[in-house]
Amino acid sequence: MSYVAEGYNSFETKKTPSGIVKYLPDPKSVIALIQSGKLKEHILLVQGGTTTFLAPALSMGSIGVITMSGAPESHLGILSREFQMPCVMTAYLTDSDSRYVTGGNNDAHFAAIIKALEGKKVQLHCEDRETGRIAIVS
Amino acid sequence: MSTYKDRYKSADDGMRFQDLVYQGNFKGMDPVPDGILGDKVLRQRAKSKVLEKVSKEDVLRDQFTVAELNDLNNYLAWNIWDVLVMRATEGVSGMIPRQEYEILAFMHEFYRWPEILEMTTNEVGAQGIIDIGASARREIGTKVNCVHDWCIGAVGFGMGRCGLLALEAIQPQDYVRESNIILKFMQRVLWGKRQDGYILNSQDRYRCKIHEKDILDKLVGQVEYFEPGSEKHDSLVRFNAAAELLSFLDHYDCRLGLGDTGPYELPDGKIMIIRDLFTNEEVYDWSDVCDHENVPHCYTLCLVIDPEKMNLSEIRVNDISTTFTRPKNYIEHIVGGAVFVREKWNTPMGEVYQVKISELDKRLEGIQQATFKLYTKFSRMSRRTLITNGMYVYYIDMILPHLRLAGTYEKACKDYEFWEIDQRVSNYYYDIVKRGFAQATVPQKIFSGEGYLPFPEDVSLNRSKYYWK
Repeated sequence: MSYVAEGYNSFETKKTPSGIVKYLPDPKSVIALIQSGKLKEHILLVQGGTTTFLAPALSMGSIGVITMSGAPESHLGILSREFQMPCVMTAYLTDSDSRYVTGGNNDAHFAAIIKALEGKKVQLHCEDRETGRIAIVS
Repeated sequence: MSTYKDRYKSADDGMRFQDLVYQGNFKGMDPVPDGILGDKVLRQRAKSKVLEKVSKEDVLRDQFTVAELNDLNNYLAWNIWDVLVMRATEGVSGMIPRQEYEILAFMHEFYRWPEILEMTTNEVGAQGIIDIGASARREIGTKVNCVHDWCIGAVGFGMGRCGLLALEAIQPQDYVRESNIILKFMQRVLWGKRQDGYILNSQDRYRCKIHEKDILDKLVGQVEYFEPGSEKHDSLVRFNAAAELLSFLDHYDCRLGLGDTGPYELPDGKIMIIRDLFTNEEVYDWSDVCDHENVPHCYTLCLVIDPEKMNLSEIRVNDISTTFTRPKNYIEHIVGGAVFVREKWNTPMGEVYQVKISELDKRLEGIQQATFKLYTKFSRMSRRTLITNGMYVYYIDMILPHLRLAGTYEKACKDYEFWEIDQRVSNYYYDIVKRGFAQATVPQKIFSGEGYLPFPEDVSLNRSKYYWK
């Protein structure tokens, strides 16, 4: 299987959730997704690794998350483990050398990931101790 | 087969949880790793005995020496890196401007806490501060816990001084007396809580086994056992996650809402973590949504983990009250649990009651509703309001439990204007967003350890700061 992106694995799990990637840019988009009743159809793509931004989505049972920054020690990493929700953190595209830089300007890096993943059906693979992987489902 | 007990052998150096290493003030020397080995290296490099087990006489002494202050400064700087460096990669929240409120709070604490902590020490005495720490040995649902106690020194002194040095608002020789007040307060609380001579979990191979045996026996006696993957397991795990999330949210995405102790080894070889989740803090006006959903001040969860099925190789209850394990996923190896409720911060221990696991789903709904209402409320707040509120969470909450128990919280509010924001810090609000100060400069100073400049060796212990330029 080829993987379009990978990153830190929040925790080891045999769960392999799949869904359409939905990028959530702001709290309004999170609330709208909850209210749409379609939360569980999506793998959520977010910029940060904090918990508060995704709080209602986590609480209401989101099936999987991809972040573009953060680590298993981040608050979202901790909470994804508690919820047993697969989470790939600080994801990067496997066909690109671009990587997240802490404290740097990552706008172009984020934009490339969003462009590559949003609207695509993906599956998360999180069996490995350290690396979580993202495959496009045809 | 588990190997985690090997970590408690004196010759063992522990595992590495990360590839990064720490340099700090140890220029020209080998960098320092994380974990047990990092603690060993820091102690070897110390110039005083303050990082070893200390006596009550040491703790009651009025001041640290300059060498002790510098050893504590170096150790706390490494400890902050050890527990937070990977978290620092998490970037912006999208919801709460945490880096901005954090740096303001750090600096505000360094300016304002010394006189409030000194007043509190004067009110109850040094022994009284030790007793406040010791109270945690017989209670659950208390915020006198690792993260709050650690924050007094690591955040108020360590990161506060570091931030002000980075802003060039102070010099390394400034505020020696005030630094001593903060660190003495921290040492007394932590020493009273642990009572093994150490103050930090990292000095004890990441163990925080503070509860008295009779308290532990009572809690263990109320644990319900189940099979992993059973309905009871799923209910407990679901509840733990939802309550933990609300506790993070009520505390503005910071760790003050969560408090683990342990690991406590049970007679059958299982281990137990005791976890306080502070889901409703009454001093915050935004907690009204938690009141409306009848969410209590704290849920305490006893989580019994099977280390053998997990092949547990290391468990750390770190100094910000958070449990990390290798392998990482301990949740699916939870084989027993119990949930207790403390309705208010001052509810007597005799009135703390148990909720059976079969009844948790009813309470889960209230937690989910409070989470959504709180989120909606925050999403309507201005950036300025979010930063101000977040700053209060740090500045107020980190010493709130100690002031409450000392009986000095009201005095701090009335006579010391505890909830007022210092004009200097109000002005810094405009400085920290310039040139990436909050998002790049300070995190770099904090997590490289470069910013924790030592006190000059010949500085007077009475030195404060009496002039500004």
